[in-house]
Amino acid sequence: MVLGSLLQRLAASQGYFSQMPRYYGPQIRGGASGVKLSLDTTRASVPEDTADILVCFNWEKYAELEQELPLDAESTVFYDSADQKHSVSLPEKSFQVGFSETVEELTGATSAKNIVALGLLSRILALSEDHLKGAIPQDEALALLQKNELALNSGKRLLLQFPFSELKLSPPRDSSVKIILHGNAAIAQGAIRAGCRAFFGYPITPASEVMQEMQDYLGEGNGIFLQAEDEIASAGLALGASIAGTKSMTATTGPGLDLMTEMIGLASSAEIPVVVVDVQRCGPATGIPSKSEQSDLNHAIYGGHGDAPRVVVAPHDVEGCYRLLIESFNISEYFQTPVILLSDQWLGQTTVATNSDFLTRDYSTSQRRRLRGEYRERYHRYELTGDCISPMAFAGDEGSIYQSTGLTHSDNGRPSFDFTTHQRMHEKRWHKLAPLRDRDELVKVFGREECSKGVVVWGPSAQFVLETVKDLELKDEVKVCIPELIHPLPRRLTSFVNSLEKLLVAEMNYSAQLYHYLRSQIDLPVDTEFYARAGGLPFSRKELFGPIVKLAR
Amino acid sequence: MSQASNYGTEVRPVWCPGCGNFALLSALTKKALPNLGMPRHQTLIVSGIGCSSRIAAYINTYGFNSLHGRAVVIAQGAKLANPELTVIAIGGDGDFFSIGAGHLPHAVRRNVDVTCIMMNNFVYALTKGQTSPTTPYQQRGEGPFLSLQYYPPVDPVLDMVSYSVSTRASFIAQGISSDAAHLAWLIEEAIKHEGFSFVNVLTPCVTFNPPQLFKTIKERASYLREGEPVGLPDSSTEQPWLHDPSNITLALKLAQTPVLQKPHIGIIFRGKEP
Repeated sequence: MVLGSLLQRLAASQGYFSQMPRYYGPQIRGGASGVKLSLDTTRASVPEDTADILVCFNWEKYAELEQELPLDAESTVFYDSADQKHSVSLPEKSFQVGFSETVEELTGATSAKNIVALGLLSRILALSEDHLKGAIPQDEALALLQKNELALNSGKRLLLQFPFSELKLSPPRDSSVKIILHGNAAIAQGAIRAGCRAFFGYPITPASEVMQEMQDYLGEGNGIFLQAEDEIASAGLALGASIAGTKSMTATTGPGLDLMTEMIGLASSAEIPVVVVDVQRCGPATGIPSKSEQSDLNHAIYGGHGDAPRVVVAPHDVEGCYRLLIESFNISEYFQTPVILLSDQWLGQTTVATNSDFLTRDYSTSQRRRLRGEYRERYHRYELTGDCISPMAFAGDEGSIYQSTGLTHSDNGRPSFDFTTHQRMHEKRWHKLAPLRDRDELVKVFGREECSKGVVVWGPSAQFVLETVKDLELKDEVKVCIPELIHPLPRRLTSFVNSLEKLLVAEMNYSAQLYHYLRSQIDLPVDTEFYARAGGLPFSRKELFGPIVKLAR
Repeated sequence: MSQASNYGTEVRPVWCPGCGNFALLSALTKKALPNLGMPRHQTLIVSGIGCSSRIAAYINTYGFNSLHGRAVVIAQGAKLANPELTVIAIGGDGDFFSIGAGHLPHAVRRNVDVTCIMMNNFVYALTKGQTSPTTPYQQRGEGPFLSLQYYPPVDPVLDMVSYSVSTRASFIAQGISSDAAHLAWLIEEAIKHEGFSFVNVLTPCVTFNPPQLFKTIKERASYLREGEPVGLPDSSTEQPWLHDPSNITLALKLAQTPVLQKPHIGIIFRGKEP
């Protein structure tokens, strides 16, 4: 992981885009871990299925990750030691390179072996020497290289020992330095941008980085940060802070979302803004904590007892994590409703080198509807207004005291046993979200409008589908729809589906949750199929060939 | 200055006639809040679920009747977001010592300035009389709870006061609903205390407790007064010591007295450091 991060940083400093998913197992420290770095000159593309170059320090550990880091006959392999090599069938261009020996001779220890490998890779890829020297002082993480210059240079010299010339990457389209962040960081930065000033969380893989980033910022006196005793408390603390008028959020993954469910119902019923981020992992129960799955959709949309409307959004890339987190706060504050943002381990922990323009762009931010003067004499917290959104005082505001409750309540917030009121309050909470259905910009459509064959895909699986459609040169025959807003159902998604003769729904969960959701809401074309399987292993382009070719036929 | 009548709402309580919750309501709305001159808009009551938790609708300050067991977490969130607020969490023994028990030690160690009032009526009353963690164990035939004729409690009582002392809450008091004036004073002291404060209120459930339970508690209750000898159970062979609420060791001794033998009414512990 260190090697991958350093190489990604070096390449980003020269203007290369990249995506680098992380693969790791259940170990506390050490154990098998790997990354797959895909460098690109024009955009942060999805890594190819198999690697062009593999650097392996330990074959036994590689065997654990082989499903995620497969080789093919064209791959070039550099490995440190031949121990346990027999467990893998190696391609022709495989070389044993004594990374450990080289560095041990120099320093007496093997710990800098990845720096030696970095030296070799930087030569093979022909990353500019001048640039390297320039980048190191600019980047704290790269300062490590200055201390290990000997190891780095010895790695560069290793190239001469092999019957092998430089691969030479195509030059980057522009040499502007790319920023590096993962989805979890983008979520935290989006939250701060949106004005979130209270974060409550509980450590859980793979969402903990959101909490850590929020702690870095809010812990510096910029707001409230608290690590709670459990996820029930995280959500409860966030509701409490929201009642007092602070934009509040929490972040977790499946098991934490389970525990927050009762609070989400309360937030829906008592109309309290709160943003809940779910960085999904394989479920159910403990599942596979460090691997991706998109199987919390049903829970996000329907989780909890009673009819508790909430908003569900799902980004498919890091830019989306940032933008949709801001949007989540806007929706949550404006509509006084819980918003669940569904990310996942792949999106959350894949580091991306990309342009920083989305971080500096203008974003509008919505505020909660407060009281105007004329309401103050007779403030009814849940007053039925034309758009069903009632002004919400902050606890502490003068002249607008109210009592609220998770009991069925009348428009003044008092407990009610009246069935007409019960019906009316349901109508209020559901109707107020209706305008969201017209938010066309929260549904991304790629391809030619007149196509009658289309894919609906959500979350980062969309990246794999788009790449596959491109690889197959089917961009003129197949269009792709990525609903960022999933619930309430956007009209643009409905009209996309209605425009099709053939539909494919692709998603990474066993039971085809999005497909069933769509089926419950839209008359799907007769010719509709879904491609759905349990998560863990990211989608490969190869596996998506079949369903997409079939769709295009 | 706020007037006493301002603190009540027009909503009629759901409680049974003679319920101890009325004493808490009047202690808060007629005494503690007006005595402290508490601006209504700067006061937030967060309650859980249960008989006593219905109180949020009856007090004309900001109020939120939330989820079973979770009042204390929502209260902390609000206090952190707006430190100007006086935040009071109210619930019952089921709320704070069963479903929400996991939150209390963390509220204690964070010491966020929230006043937590637990109406301990020794029973789940809203659900019609099941055992709670504080229901006294009684053998069959010894006059079990009215609703527990056939299924008396079999597990020992969880003593909330000794629990609070052992986790070292910075303010611990015990009140009794039959003395609303004293309860109001305790609540005032708890609100004034900077840091987390826990007030356990012994109160009857007039519907589901055996009448002799609260009668016994009232008879055996002894008031703690700083510098005066503490009351001890008749069976105790110890010399009564002078009450010192700043001494955690003595507080622990008080807390270890079984509540049915000698209920101590007053401030059990008051830490100096907020």
